[in-house]
Amino acid sequence: MRRRAGIGGLQTAAAARDQYRLLGENVAKIKTDLMKEQLATFRSQLEDFARKHKNDIRKNPAFRSQFHEMCAKVGVDPLASNKGFWAELLGIGDFYYELGVQIVEICLETRSHNGGLINLQELCTLLRQKRKTSREAVSEDDCLRAISKLKVLGSGFEVISVGKKKLVRSVPTELNKDHNEIIELAQGQEFVTVDEVERRLSWTSGRAIDALDILLDEGFAMIDDGHKDGKRRYWFPCVSSIASTVNTDA
Amino acid sequence: MAGGHLPLAELTGSGRPVLLPSEIECSFLPNVELESEESANFSVRLKSGLLILTTHRLIWLLPNPVPPGSKGFYFPLAAISQIFSSKKSMFASLRLSFQVSVGPNGRVDTESLVRGSRSIPMTVVMRGKGDVDSCDQVLGELEASILRREQEIWESTDKSLHDAFQDLNALMSKAKEMVMLAEKIRLKLLSGSLQAGTANVEEMGSKEEMQDWLLSVGIISPVTKESAGALYHQQLSCQLADFVKFPLERSGGMINLIDIYCLFNRARGTELISPEDLLQACSLWDKLDVPSMLRKFDSRVMVIQNKSYRDEEVFARINTLVTKPDTLRMGISASDAALTLGIAPAMAKEHLLAAESLLCRDLSPDGFRFYVNLFPGIISDELYLVQHHGIYALWNTTVSST
Repeated sequence: MRRRAGIGGLQTAAAARDQYRLLGENVAKIKTDLMKEQLATFRSQLEDFARKHKNDIRKNPAFRSQFHEMCAKVGVDPLASNKGFWAELLGIGDFYYELGVQIVEICLETRSHNGGLINLQELCTLLRQKRKTSREAVSEDDCLRAISKLKVLGSGFEVISVGKKKLVRSVPTELNKDHNEIIELAQGQEFVTVDEVERRLSWTSGRAIDALDILLDEGFAMIDDGHKDGKRRYWFPCVSSIASTVNTDA
Repeated sequence: MAGGHLPLAELTGSGRPVLLPSEIECSFLPNVELESEESANFSVRLKSGLLILTTHRLIWLLPNPVPPGSKGFYFPLAAISQIFSSKKSMFASLRLSFQVSVGPNGRVDTESLVRGSRSIPMTVVMRGKGDVDSCDQVLGELEASILRREQEIWESTDKSLHDAFQDLNALMSKAKEMVMLAEKIRLKLLSGSLQAGTANVEEMGSKEEMQDWLLSVGIISPVTKESAGALYHQQLSCQLADFVKFPLERSGGMINLIDIYCLFNRARGTELISPEDLLQACSLWDKLDVPSMLRKFDSRVMVIQNKSYRDEEVFARINTLVTKPDTLRMGISASDAALTLGIAPAMAKEHLLAAESLLCRDLSPDGFRFYVNLFPGIISDELYLVQHHGIYALWNTTVSST
């Protein structure tokens, strides 16, 4: 557009600006339309998938787990919100959110016994007892996913690996490396003594006692002074293979 | 006699059941009663009939001679799960129990997992003088039939799982496209907020649309100062503000976020909210005029509390608590505080930790105990001087009088 001098020139420039603005708005509108169209296509594709495979997802924990992994790779979170298409069309939202609620309940019910640290296997067993009348099988993978969602609510829900076992923590207390090592040591006989800790981990007496004291304070360990040798035993319910008897009325 | 909503079994002219193609009869149990546990829309009470186990179904009929016009009922084996062993005793009748899947409309499911279907216990009572052996035989055959069916289902599933994985791959590539588009949207949202003065209603409207878009695809974008979040979360935010009023009152003005998650979802029953939904909705309270707020402690514990809640009030009450004669000597634990202050035990510990300027903690094998902090009242220059005023003096007199 050739520039013109004077008022005419100004008017042309103003008109040009208007035109560009309208064009810009149109471009924006086109983009919004494109988005809506893409969303509709995606939704219908998901509907097709759901029609054919909704049952597979609900019945087959292995397939379900694979589904989650792929979503994670792609960068979507099917459990992020109940309002998402995933929850709406595949119906898996309620399954995991309900699982979350049941896991929180079980952790609360067992807290007086284990201080807020529970074996994942024990948790799954108690969960299955609680869900006796439900037909959907719950795998450990499902529990882990439900717990990873709970993490965001800030009460310290987390899965930690100690030795060969996975423990679910439901209190905000942080466990440091020393504590972890003691718990791992306890996996052998479900208890440890100060001597054992000093010997097996090559620690000073002070270090062992400090770590054990904190575990005791937080309720993760219990003392047993009743043995003939007079040595104090520290028991850890979280690594115990005997499940606690809990009244789980769902 | 009530057959509830059991599907009817077609009978021939002579009262025998019409079998499905490839269905074979396996065993018979005469003189049985069939009953279900009482439930809202499903109730079965059938007496004095003949139970026939086939490869596909469990059929109940009246015994011969069959009165004309009478009906037979059946359970598809696909709807049966969890067979419990029968109770045997000299005096009680032999019993068999199993769980049957019933849909929301009270009909027995053949397609598993209709939304809202429940598992209802059924009992078969054998009134006749049938011996233990025939009962065991039926039990065994029922279990075998069910296992066979499950295996068939698995085998057909294996084939269809191959298709399922292919479909899954195709779906995920589409999802990947959506994620890339989402990135562009996110940038657009960010750039939109940087332009000062363009926050007119239309812009905000389309921002909400974009948030909804992201939510549908499964991408949570955090609530920012500029964005109001998705419409869904805005509505949820209002609902939650109303919901938390009562629990807050009951727990003294402060409640754990995770407890609200459980309470709210339990109250809802279906269409539950995700933990992230809850967090987003509570984060939006800043923008609304509601009496509750979200608060994060140093320990990363998150709570919901009344805006009118004042730490100082609680500290004052704690102070009164720790300066009583026995607590001066013994201190208080989190559970003592919880009882006296009327707040949840988990919250009590947070409060005591937060009040540590006026309290001192003591770690022992019994756990945490808190005592009133005497140090501020001790003047280092006059360390050995017995004071006559203040907390130190009070403590002194109380402790010495034991």
